[in-house]
Amino acid sequence: MTAASGLAASQHNPWRTTLPGLLIVLLVWEGVGRSMGGTYLLAPPSLVLLWLGDNAGLVGRALSATLSNAAVGFVLGNLAALLLAAMALVWPASQRIVTGVALVVFCLPLVATGPILRVMFGPGNGPQIVLAALAVYYTTLIPLLVGMRAAPASWFDLVRSYGRGPLAALGYIRLMASLPYLFAGLQIAAPAAILGAMVGEFTGAERGLGVLTVRAMRSLDVEMTWALASVATFAAVAAYWGIGALTRAVLRDAPPLILAPPRDDTRRGAPLLRAITGLGGVIAAILVLWGGSIALFGLNPFFAKGPWDVAHAVFWASDAAQTRASLGVALMGTVLLLVPGYLAGLAAGAGLAVVFTLLPKLAGTMMPLAIALRSVPIVTTAPLVVLLLGRGATGTIVLVAVMVFFPTLVACLHGLRQAPGQVMDVFNSYAASPLQRLVRVQIPAMLPAFFAAARMAVPAAVLAVTVVEWLATGIGVGTLMALSASVSDYDMLWAAVVLAASLSALGYAGVGLIESRILRIYAPEQLT
Amino acid sequence: MRPDVTHPPTVTCDSLGKTWKGGLAAVSPTDLVLHAGQTTALVGPSGCGKSTILRMVAGLETPSTGCVTIDGAPPAEILRRAGLSVAFQDPSLLPWRTVRGNIELALTLARHPVDRAAVDQLIMLVGLDGFGDTRPAELSGGMRQRAAIARALATEPRLLLLDEPFGAVDELTRQQLVQDLPRIWEARGTTTLLVTHSVTEAVMLSDRVIVLSPRPAKVVADIDIPLPRPRFPGLARTPEFVTLVDDVFAALSHGAAMADRTIAAQ
Ligand SMILES: Nc1ncnc2c1ncn2[C@@H]1O[C@H](COP(=O)(O)OP(=O)(O)OP(=O)(O)O)[C@@H](O)[C@H]1O
Ligand SMILES: [Mg+2]
Repeated sequence: MTAASGLAASQHNPWRTTLPGLLIVLLVWEGVGRSMGGTYLLAPPSLVLLWLGDNAGLVGRALSATLSNAAVGFVLGNLAALLLAAMALVWPASQRIVTGVALVVFCLPLVATGPILRVMFGPGNGPQIVLAALAVYYTTLIPLLVGMRAAPASWFDLVRSYGRGPLAALGYIRLMASLPYLFAGLQIAAPAAILGAMVGEFTGAERGLGVLTVRAMRSLDVEMTWALASVATFAAVAAYWGIGALTRAVLRDAPPLILAPPRDDTRRGAPLLRAITGLGGVIAAILVLWGGSIALFGLNPFFAKGPWDVAHAVFWASDAAQTRASLGVALMGTVLLLVPGYLAGLAAGAGLAVVFTLLPKLAGTMMPLAIALRSVPIVTTAPLVVLLLGRGATGTIVLVAVMVFFPTLVACLHGLRQAPGQVMDVFNSYAASPLQRLVRVQIPAMLPAFFAAARMAVPAAVLAVTVVEWLATGIGVGTLMALSASVSDYDMLWAAVVLAASLSALGYAGVGLIESRILRIYAPEQLT
Repeated sequence: MRPDVTHPPTVTCDSLGKTWKGGLAAVSPTDLVLHAGQTTALVGPSGCGKSTILRMVAGLETPSTGCVTIDGAPPAEILRRAGLSVAFQDPSLLPWRTVRGNIELALTLARHPVDRAAVDQLIMLVGLDGFGDTRPAELSGGMRQRAAIARALATEPRLLLLDEPFGAVDELTRQQLVQDLPRIWEARGTTTLLVTHSVTEAVMLSDRVIVLSPRPAKVVADIDIPLPRPRFPGLARTPEFVTLVDDVFAALSHGAAMADRTIAAQ
């Protein structure tokens, strides 16, 4: 059995192929948990189950609160993605701005937007729903934009040759062609919505899994922490599989892997000039949106700081130098945790994918598990990693690496399968060794998927690092945000939000730049 | 005058030319008339600009010089009335629709009623009986092309543009199709433009063969094919047929030689 057929089989019957891997994980967990009994670090699955049995009512109520908020946010976020995609389609010149602004909004650190939303909405479900929507719209928008254009020009010629216009092309071609991409996006979005809702609950909701998680961490209740993490993970994985099952019911073919960023149809002028005008346009649009929505909704200037307020606090206020120093120190702290974790996660993901390709049997068992673990909500792993590895740098770096690792592994395994059949045939006909095939054909074929994963992993890694900092470490931008929120220093909070979002947007753009340099050599067709 | 979609139209190209954005000249300004109800074949070496001419006639590509008129009106007019069909060089079937679904899509797009029996008959005609409910991914290359031909015929177009419709079809099936298909458009009265690489196919199917030079395309010969209709398989062995085929070949090599000389002179 090859990795490819293992994957194909797992997509039709996840249980049969996952079960062995799952059992191994459970057994190891049980064993280690028992041997660590009394250390208040790890609760074995048996005790977790017992705890869940005793507290079924409590957890059930919390779960249903979280899930209903996540569902509402999921629907709203995806509607927003549909509208944005429609806008970029009707008015192609807007695509750069739409995707640019969408990226920056997606890069907003959830842990900071949470408290701001909480102040704006007051008690209730508002922040949970908004954060769930924010967590999903980007992962739906990008595949939609790619999918709407994922059709050969001659299909559109066909529609035109019967005298029909763009609307018919939309209805008969674009919508259908984008369906697989849409479902692929929705599948990633479903667990993300649960994550978003839980972060919203961290900011002081009344009910939900996030509320209980905070309570469990405060009281150092190991069994409760592990039980809640297990429940949240189960819900996220179930959501992932649920959308997968829906996809298979609606579509015949497996959803495609989303590789390329959406094409920019408005290429004019020199590349550098284009990049600068594009960036300028995005920044201008964000400033207008940011300042405009504060004015439009008449938000309280005490906590709703506009671009001007932040610039004033950072550059001209009497304590501006001090503010800049705090921001600088926090940024340094974050980057020192972020970069090693990010690189380690990428290397481990790509490396393991290569190993799996050489050992296809192993891949068949581990793939479904890896796909499932990809959707484990970071806010539930964060407390666990903190429990296990302490509040130091190691824990944070490991967590960032884990966040980056699973998506990279899954994407790279998909990518390795993309090696063109004819080229493989040529190599086989010369009796090339598996290693030669790997180095000359499969790894180059994997590169587009690897870079797509590396790009999307940047915001995820920034999210991870800020969440851990917020919850535990006491250094970095996340901690700065937590502190300024708790002392109502909203100038600082907004400045930190700008800093974190810029960090992740710049990282994303930087990876994109390296990506296009390398793909120009190995996979020029991805860049058309 | 407006094109009347119940009668086959006359297509006129006046100094029609195309130069691509990068400055690549694909078609030199050419005068061309496709007579109403006739089948005109366009032959020429690969890459000479045949598909480009066909796409300009279909109104899918804007000419750089000159214009196309269909019964005196621009192509947009006949497009608006869904009076033409194109069988593209690559079959362009939608992968999520079955063969039948793809054919019915053409009817829907052209705002024709969907007649299941008629669609079945078309599927039979192109030799795809039993594959009506198959998706394109499970068809061979030649079967896909035949499905695309069936789709192009479904709307009973008055102007039919075929871009190498039999390219990937095997020799026997090709002969069968060359026998069967013209009956449809002869019976209905259709102006047909057939782009092909095969000289015998061009002579067998058409009333006129236009031979193009290598890129940028210009007309090197316009050869009448006064063979009787309906054409029968044995026709290919008659001396008249063989002479016509030789004429077309001669024109093709003449065009190539002229192009070589122009290049040498430069
Ligand atoms: N969209 C396009 N943009 C730029 N150049 C094009 C485009 N389409 C075709 N060409 C160029 O125009 C020339 C003519 O192309 P065309 O497709 O008309 O050739 P053809 O005669 O149909 O060839 P074949 O028999 O191989 O199908 C070619 O040199 C091709 O490279
Ligand atoms: Mg062609």
